[in-house]
Amino acid sequence: MGTSTEERRQRAVESLALDETRSHDRLDRITRLARTALGVPISTVTVIDGERAWFPSVSGIELTELPRDQTFCDRTHSDGDTLVVPDATVDDRFKHLPVVVEGGIRFYAGHPLRDHTGNVVGTFCVYDSEARTFDADEQTTFEDLAAWAELELVATTEMTQAGRVQASLLPSRPIRVDGWSVDGLCVPALAVGGDFYDYGVAQDVLHLGLGDVMGKGTGAALVGAGVRAALRGTHAAVTAGVDLGITATQVARSLLPDLERSETFVTLLEAAVELDDGYLRYVDAGAGLALLVRADGTPVALGSDDRPFGVLPDDHWTEHSEQIGPGDRLVLFSDGLLDLLDDPVDWVPPVADLVSAAPDGVSLLRSIRRLALHRTALDDVTVVAVFRDSA
Amino acid sequence: MIEIEVDRREGGIGVVVPKGRLNMVSARQLKELLGELVSSGATRVVVDLAETTFLDSSGLGAIIAGLKSARQAGGDLRIARPTATVLTVFQLTNMDKVLRPRDDVDTAFDD
Repeated sequence: MGTSTEERRQRAVESLALDETRSHDRLDRITRLARTALGVPISTVTVIDGERAWFPSVSGIELTELPRDQTFCDRTHSDGDTLVVPDATVDDRFKHLPVVVEGGIRFYAGHPLRDHTGNVVGTFCVYDSEARTFDADEQTTFEDLAAWAELELVATTEMTQAGRVQASLLPSRPIRVDGWSVDGLCVPALAVGGDFYDYGVAQDVLHLGLGDVMGKGTGAALVGAGVRAALRGTHAAVTAGVDLGITATQVARSLLPDLERSETFVTLLEAAVELDDGYLRYVDAGAGLALLVRADGTPVALGSDDRPFGVLPDDHWTEHSEQIGPGDRLVLFSDGLLDLLDDPVDWVPPVADLVSAAPDGVSLLRSIRRLALHRTALDDVTVVAVFRDSA
Repeated sequence: MIEIEVDRREGGIGVVVPKGRLNMVSARQLKELLGELVSSGATRVVVDLAETTFLDSSGLGAIIAGLKSARQAGGDLRIARPTATVLTVFQLTNMDKVLRPRDDVDTAFDD
């Protein structure tokens, strides 16, 4: 094997970012099934990492790692092809291996697992202490299981990483400034989701945004990241006092070609709050899910007649305003929260109750997170909570 | 799973009846079906939502895509008889202004 191939392979393995300290349930399911389906005592998913081999999943034997050159899998890796060894004790390539001499392994079958660009990143293997072969059906079953293991190994790690990137695009910490606190929460239904939120303070103006891209998963997340960036680009203008209807319309126009090409749309609520007096300006693009709960518990739903971004090319958006008084609370949320309510149609009273009952924003988000986990949210659940202290 | 009934009527009208949950999976099916309907000449489409028990953003997206392609072809798309839950989705997104719910499938294109 050439050094460059080996280097590329090693980089590909590292980019999987597999966690050696925890078990990989999705792979364990496959190795367990392999033993039953193929009637073998041992099955592994093996990753060659530098000079050692380790096992994201092992079934039928206790094993953590082996020197690379003591494994069958090293050969499967370098050949890049299915390797079947009917009887290792009579095979010159393998009869010296400790797993054969001391471990009593005679039969081995291994299949390379490749990432999207074709690098071999692991192997799916079965072993037996008896010499044997596969019949045609067993060969097919073995290949099917290997294809499944490949999918789990590569796709799962990619989704995990995409989820991490997406989480890193959210504000990293709450805002605590004189008399105000702002907290956010996003519980994606899948590893990555179509919801996003953003907040930040610039020159005593608090910027808030919460959007929901049609659909779920990576595609929606990509579009969401673009919308978030486009909105951030308007913050300076909004801080300077430019009408939110103007900036939103401008953002919608610039996003329209992208949204039309990807056949999606975005609902959004964007707001700017003057922190010195609580003057709230907002624009609503078909989100309709924002509630101002007065200090005395009176709910005021913030809505508009404006449609989502990406629906009709000639749409425009209008700024509205409200006043956040001392002791008032504002929540923006995605429709995933509605699914968690007993009656999603008449949502104002239960959401107002949740908001009023919470002593602070952190507690509110904690109770919503609990609700999302308890009820197994089917859609992303995203919330931004703004609490203004009592005077 | 969802079952989608299609009824082609005179005057280039197509009536589509999705029965069940319109979510990410079934929305794709609806979108393709609406696209085929419009391109085959039924540019006036009624989506009868009486038996649609659930609608998420993907389902709404499929209906919007159908609306766009119908209008591009010189026709229109109208919705009829949504249940209270489904109607909420149109109201929250303010799509009820473009897609005003009709009470009756047969007269959905009378105005």
